[in-house]
Amino acid sequence: MDLDEIKATWTQMSEQLEQQKKLTDKIILEMTQQKYRNKFRKINTFETIGAVFSYAISIYILININELDTWYLLTSGIITLGCLLVLPVLVLRSLKKLQGVDLMHSTYKETFIKFSKAKDHVLFLQRLAIFCGFLILFTSMPVFSKIQNGKDLFIGTKTWLWYIPVMSAVLFFFARWVYGYYSSITKSAETILNDLDQ
Amino acid sequence: MGKEAKFIAVIKQYEGVIFKITTIYTDNKDDQQDLYQDIVYQLWKSFDSFRNEAKISTWMYRVALNTGLTRIKKRGRRESSISIDTMVIEHTETWDSQFEERLKLLYEQIGSLNALDKGLIILFLEGKKYEEISEITGLSTTNVGTRLARIKLKLKSRIIKN
Repeated sequence: MDLDEIKATWTQMSEQLEQQKKLTDKIILEMTQQKYRNKFRKINTFETIGAVFSYAISIYILININELDTWYLLTSGIITLGCLLVLPVLVLRSLKKLQGVDLMHSTYKETFIKFSKAKDHVLFLQRLAIFCGFLILFTSMPVFSKIQNGKDLFIGTKTWLWYIPVMSAVLFFFARWVYGYYSSITKSAETILNDLDQ
Repeated sequence: MGKEAKFIAVIKQYEGVIFKITTIYTDNKDDQQDLYQDIVYQLWKSFDSFRNEAKISTWMYRVALNTGLTRIKKRGRRESSISIDTMVIEHTETWDSQFEERLKLLYEQIGSLNALDKGLIILFLEGKKYEEISEITGLSTTNVGTRLARIKLKLKSRIIKN
């Protein structure tokens, strides 16, 4: 199929569509109703549930923070809290920005630039959130062990002998995967954006 | 004529164009139906502002292409939406299997382009002049020409490869 054929096919499709007008007044008016728009907002549902869950856990840790009586337990608690409190806000804010691109007054070029940048930011934060999820696994285990059972995982047990090397290795490989995946996704968008600036 | 009646007339005039745009920016019927409704919704939202502006087709293409460009794939279970039968081209008298095959190839070729180029090729195939493409896209007319020449080359090389 060459370009002329593409154009001819497009024209033929246009003619076919002209012959089969199907939209009724009722359907068009239904499509303008806000209630049908609501489903697009649900894209935030997973992130919102995640945020509520994160804040509930954070409150639990904050109430019991006095139980973390050594420097390493306190550090683990602070890292866990930091991830749980900051990331959901950043992810939700970036999603809001992504969905808030002005489709009515922006040109196609402006929309493309704004949307690509916002999408890039969302992707970065989502990957970062997955990475932090693993980091939390690493830091929350000793925190919860201490708060719930009063047991310091690093004293009197040999847990740390496997826990630290295994979790460090997991974090290292996971971070590499996150970075690689993110880079490949954003590379093509970056190329087009640079091209537009020229 | 009231606002609603005017809007309905506009949508009926451009329903084929909206259909074509939705086929290019989506890869399945459900997404296409969602995008169709979203475009109509965005056009309705901006209908007041358009009435103070210049050309109806510029406004329509701009909003429809912007909506297609920023489409976010839905996750999980699909919500109920208005069922519209417009998502399939009916087989008319001039329909034949060759046309269907060509249509499939057309979708494949345009589908292989990046999001920005998809919009440009749609406008080109719709027979828009460089000036109007420039007005809709915000690219300079020279840039439109350059990009379209590159798109044509890209498509040509793909056609040769295939």
